[in-house]
Amino acid sequence: MLRLAWRNVWRNRRRSLINVAAMGFGLAAIMFGQSLMRSLQGQLVEKSTGSITGHLQVQERRSEEPKMPDRFIKNPKPVEAAASADPRVLVEEGRIHMTGLISTPATSVGVLICAVSPDKERVVTDMSRYVTTGTYLRDGTKDLYLGEKLARRLDLRLGEKAVLMAQAADGSMGADVFRLVGIFKTGSESFDGQIAYVPLKPFQELLGRPGQVNNVVLKLKDIDDADAVRDRLESRLKDQPVKVLTWKNIDHEILGVQAFQDAILDIVLIVVFGVVALGILNTQLMSLFERVREFGVLMAVGARPRWVMRLIVTESALLGAVGTAFGAAAGAALIAHFGRTGLHLPVGDAFSYFLPFPAVIYMRPSWGAHALACAAVFAVAILAALPPALRAGRLKPAEALRHV
Amino acid sequence: MSKPRRRVHEPVPGAPLVEARGVEKVYPGGAKVAALRGVSLTVGRGEFTALAGPSGSGKSTLLNLIGTLDRPTKGEILYEGAAVSRLGAEQLSDFRLRALGFVFQAYNLIPVLTAVENVEYPLVLQGAGPAERRREALEALRWVGVADQADRRPDLLSGGQQQRVAVARAIVHRPALVLADEPTANLDSKTGAALLDLMERLNREHGLTFLFSSHDPAVLSRARRVVRLQDGEMTGEETRGAP
Repeated sequence: MLRLAWRNVWRNRRRSLINVAAMGFGLAAIMFGQSLMRSLQGQLVEKSTGSITGHLQVQERRSEEPKMPDRFIKNPKPVEAAASADPRVLVEEGRIHMTGLISTPATSVGVLICAVSPDKERVVTDMSRYVTTGTYLRDGTKDLYLGEKLARRLDLRLGEKAVLMAQAADGSMGADVFRLVGIFKTGSESFDGQIAYVPLKPFQELLGRPGQVNNVVLKLKDIDDADAVRDRLESRLKDQPVKVLTWKNIDHEILGVQAFQDAILDIVLIVVFGVVALGILNTQLMSLFERVREFGVLMAVGARPRWVMRLIVTESALLGAVGTAFGAAAGAALIAHFGRTGLHLPVGDAFSYFLPFPAVIYMRPSWGAHALACAAVFAVAILAALPPALRAGRLKPAEALRHV
Repeated sequence: MSKPRRRVHEPVPGAPLVEARGVEKVYPGGAKVAALRGVSLTVGRGEFTALAGPSGSGKSTLLNLIGTLDRPTKGEILYEGAAVSRLGAEQLSDFRLRALGFVFQAYNLIPVLTAVENVEYPLVLQGAGPAERRREALEALRWVGVADQADRRPDLLSGGQQQRVAVARAIVHRPALVLADEPTANLDSKTGAALLDLMERLNREHGLTFLFSSHDPAVLSRARRVVRLQDGEMTGEETRGAP
């Protein structure tokens, strides 16, 4: 049967090739879409966690705003000890993120102040890599690290001083002088124009909160362990007045974007599957009408109706297998190509307002999703053969033989 | 690969090979056409019988009913005394595969298969192994004189060659009855005569029973028994001695 089915598939070579091409291009497009979405989402998560959020944050339990914790952890040492004891944690770092004011003789600007431990922050985020002039922060100094746009607004040059002000523990305004040692450029409006980085210790002194932080950020060896590490930390820190948040709790808008993209992808997939299914159904129905007489001959010779049905389904399965193989190869080649060269997407520019997000997406395969798409295209090929097969199974041999 | 299929009818000892008993066939539709009106016919083993009559007389309908390709509106088809026309579609396929061979006016070979693959097909459906079916198919092609065309596809064969391949396909599984509907109608007279020579030889030498239809007097003159049909009714019957 397989031999007959295979030859029947190539009986009308042009039609079969068009069908294979339709399936192949459809599948390649699906795989491209899947990879693009996953790569975009992966890059978004990577950039977001790698720019500011980290993989996990431990914050004071009553803190309400996860992006800007409004309460301080008075004693972060047990938190840091618990975190560093977990082998899945690459680094843990106490930080303060809060709003404040930066002033120069030229002007004053409201900013987000990120007080960090420079050596650890280098590991947690990529911010040290965006330096364009000067150097990154050093421990034990009163260094200041600003975005290009903010420095220009403040009319501040390397080596010049600026005053940082923020609300201290006692409610008064704390202030101190910091010296600009480095300027960075990420391409993101928010980062380049609204954030000031300083070392943690002098800022704690400015606030009158020695040793206190408002978040302990964790970078894991593998981001996929975030939930497991959170559970472990939560149980180990249940006596501490803290809570453990994953990046998903903090950057929840990314999950919204992902859900939206997934929904769009699903709609596109359904449309492509529909087109592929209709193409095969059309081919099979045309092929059936052309070969009614032949099915009559097969039945006259002794083929059971079920055998004829199996023949039609087998033909479609073979066509589906060829189309799937072609599509999978084309899709994989496309993804590999754009994995190497990258793909410039306007959406990257849109994201880069909020995040240091490159407009070029480097595509990565998403094998699980691709395998599912291949299986679905193949299944669609078989399903599309069922109506013609059922019709053929109901043919009466004498009528089929009379068919012209 | 399908398994060898079992016999689906129980032969009655002493019964004729085929019997059409009061068979009627009315085609449904707006104007109901009675293609056969109560025909009864018996065909014994080893016969070389022709159904004669003009176009529309009911020859093909009767052949289709005897070949179980269609069901009678009334009456019964008995094969070795068993009423096969009552079997279900799957069982009828099995019955045809064991007991019957068909030769059609338009040859009806499967275009994507070579001559020998076409001949093999009933054996494939019977579940025969590749070596066995190839051997049997080549032997059948030798019987009909086109073994040298075994590996050619039908479109590369002449009409006469195609019909010989069709005959080989009809006899490869050694059926008791070969039904041929106007087998020479698409052939020139010389090729047609050669095909009848072949059918006669298979009947004589291998004991195959042939029931064929024709309206051509030259073809009918070769039959040992001619059953005449007109407007769906049997109008006469002639029997001749062996040529």
